[in-house]
Amino acid sequence: MNPSTILLVGNKAVSCLKLSVLTALLFLAGCSVNPIYKTTGIVLSNYSESEATPYVMQMSDPRMACALGEGLDPLMYSFSRVTDAPESTGSLLMLLAANCMEFRAWEAELAYLRADFEGQVPKAKDAREEAKRLYAQTAKRRYIAFTRAMAAYDFDPAAEPLKCPELENDQAELTFLVGLLTGMQAIVNDANSGALAGIPRNIAPQTERAASCVDNEKWGGLPEAVRALVWLLLPDTRPASSPDPWIVLRRSSELGVKSGIRASYALEAVAAETFGRPDVLAEVIAGFAAAEDTIDVWDDYRLVDKSAGRVIRFSSDKYWTSHYGYRTPQAFFGKLSPERSTENIEVMDLDGLL
Amino acid sequence: MIRKSLIALTFAAIAPLASAQTVTMCVFDVIGANGDLYNMVKDYALEMKAHGVDFQLKPYTDEGVAVGDFNAGQCDAVAATDIRIRPFNRFTGSVGAVGAIPTYDDLKTLLATLAQPKAASLMKEGDYQVLGIVPAGAGYLFVNDRSIDTAGELAGKRIATLDYQKDAIHMVNFIKATVVPSDITNFAGKFNNGSVDLAYAPAFAYQALELYKGIGDKGGIVDYPLAQLTIQIIARNSAIDDETAQQSREVAWGMFPQAMKLIASQEEGIPDSTWIRIPEEDIQGYQEMFRQNRLEMRDGVNGAPSVYDPKMLTLLSKIRCASQPSASECTAGNRE
Repeated sequence: MNPSTILLVGNKAVSCLKLSVLTALLFLAGCSVNPIYKTTGIVLSNYSESEATPYVMQMSDPRMACALGEGLDPLMYSFSRVTDAPESTGSLLMLLAANCMEFRAWEAELAYLRADFEGQVPKAKDAREEAKRLYAQTAKRRYIAFTRAMAAYDFDPAAEPLKCPELENDQAELTFLVGLLTGMQAIVNDANSGALAGIPRNIAPQTERAASCVDNEKWGGLPEAVRALVWLLLPDTRPASSPDPWIVLRRSSELGVKSGIRASYALEAVAAETFGRPDVLAEVIAGFAAAEDTIDVWDDYRLVDKSAGRVIRFSSDKYWTSHYGYRTPQAFFGKLSPERSTENIEVMDLDGLL
Repeated sequence: MIRKSLIALTFAAIAPLASAQTVTMCVFDVIGANGDLYNMVKDYALEMKAHGVDFQLKPYTDEGVAVGDFNAGQCDAVAATDIRIRPFNRFTGSVGAVGAIPTYDDLKTLLATLAQPKAASLMKEGDYQVLGIVPAGAGYLFVNDRSIDTAGELAGKRIATLDYQKDAIHMVNFIKATVVPSDITNFAGKFNNGSVDLAYAPAFAYQALELYKGIGDKGGIVDYPLAQLTIQIIARNSAIDDETAQQSREVAWGMFPQAMKLIASQEEGIPDSTWIRIPEEDIQGYQEMFRQNRLEMRDGVNGAPSVYDPKMLTLLSKIRCASQPSASECTAGNRE
C-alpha cells in the first residue's frame, strides 16, 4: 500500500469517526445525562456491592479501610447525580470515612486527657476543643451513613407500627444493622462535641425498635446489645418482660466471641463508660483481650471485629491516660493497672554468687 | 548547684499536680457520661483546674441516686437540678419557682447577679455551698389537645407530675387537674401512650423522649415557660474554700452562653407549628395566677407547701419589674 492510499484510508477513517461523534452528539442533544456516566455509575455501584464491599469487610486494617471511605465516598456518591443513589455502598463508605474522623478525635481526646493529667490547663483546653470539633464532624458523617443505610432498604425508622425491611442476604443484614449502630454512635459523638452537630436524639428509640428486625444469634448478639444500651439510656423503652440490660450486654459480648464478631463488646464498653461502671469496663476490656487467643474471627466480617477492637483499645487508653498519663502499654492490654503480677514467683538464692 | 536546680525544676514540674485539691463530684445527666450536661460539667472541671481544683466526676443517670450518694458522703459535690438541690440551699433552690422567670433575658440577669462576689453569703447555707448554676432550659406544658389553651380548660385533665416536686403538685391541684405521680424515666411513656393528657418538660425531651408521639396531630407545646430548670453544683463547705467557691461560681456563669446555645438548638428543633401561642392578655392572667401561688408557697398558707425562699422571690420580682416595669405586679400591694 503506497503512502497516498494510506492517507486516503486514513482520511476516510477520520471522516467516519467525525460522523459517529456527530451522530452521538445529535442523539445526546436531548438527554440531560451522559449515558456513559449513567452506565458507569450502575456498573460501579453493582461492582462495589458485589465485589468491593465483601473484600473490604474481610480487611483487617481499619485505618486503610477508613482511608478508602474518605477517598472514594465523594466519587462513588457523585453518581447519585446521574443515576439512583448507591445508598448501601454509600452508607458503608461514609461509615468508614466517619471512622477516620473518629480516629483523629480519639487522638485529640487522649491529648486532652494527657494534658489534664499533667495539670497543663491551656494545652488540655486546646486539645479538648479540637476533639469537640472532630467529634462534631464524625457525628455528621455518621448521621449521613445512618440515613443512607435506612434509605438503602426503604426503611422508615419513625414508622409505627414497625415494618421491617426486606434484607435479601447477609451483607444487606449487616449493612442495615451497622447503619443502626452508626446512628447510635452519631448521638454519642454529638454529645462529646458539645452538641455542635445537632444530631436528632430520637435515633436512639428508633434504633431500639429497628434492631429487632435482625437475627440476634447470627450477628453475635449485636442487635440485642443495641437494644439493651437504649434501655439503659431510656428506661421507658424497655419491654416489661425483658431481662436486666447489663445481663443482656454481657450475654451479647459472650455471643460475639462465639460468632467470631465482637462488636457487642464495644457497646458494653460504651455502656460502662456512660453509666460510670468502671467494674464493668474492667471486665469488658479483660474479656475482649482474653478472647484474642481463643476467638475464631468470622473471616467475611473481620473488619467489624477489628473495628470493635479499636473501640476497646481506645476505652482502655482513655482509662490509662486519665489515671497514669499515658496510653495502654502493649503488654498490659486487658488490665487497668500498671502493677505487674509479681507475687508467688519463685526466686533463686543469690548468696553463693555474691 | 546543678542538683539543687534539678530538684527545684522537678518540684516546679509537679507543682500543679501537687497543689491541686481533689474534689469528687456526682454528676446527674439523663444520658450519663455521654450526655450534653455531663460534657458541660467536664468543661467546667477543666476551667476549675486552672484554679487549683481537680474535680473527679462520676456520672449518674438517676438524679435521686446522685443526691443520695452525695448525702452518704460518696462524693464531695453534686450537680443536679434545682428541684433536687432545694434541701441544700432554699434560696438558689427557688430559682425554679413556678412562672417566676418568664424570659431567658431575666434568667441571664439573675445568674449574673448571683455570680457576683456580693452574693456569696446567699450561696452558703448550713454545711453546704453553691458552686455554680447553669441553665437547662425552660419547662413547657405538652398537651395532647391544642384546644386546651387556657388554665380553665386544664381542670379534670391528668398531668404527669414529678412525685418529689411539691410546688408542681400544688399547682396541678390548684388548677383542679389530676396529679399522676411520675418520675423522669416514665413521664414520657405515660404522655405518649395517652395515660396522661399533659406533661411538662424542657425542650430537650421533645426529640430524645419522642414526646411528639404524645402530641400527635392534635396536640402541641404551650409557648410559655412554666419554670426555669437549672443545674446547680452543691458542695460541702469542707470540700472547697470560700475564695475558690466564688471563682467556681464565676466559671459556671461563664458557661451561660454555651448552655443557652444548647437550649436554643433544642427549642429550634421543635417545629413552629407545634408551638401553641397564647394571647398576651392571657399571659398576664397566668402571671398573676403563678404569683399568687408563689406567695402561698412562700408562706405555706392555704394548704400550700412552704418551699420558696422569700429573698429569691423578691429578687426575681425585681428582675421582672426591671424588664417589664408596667406589669401590674410591680405596683401591687403584696409584692414578693
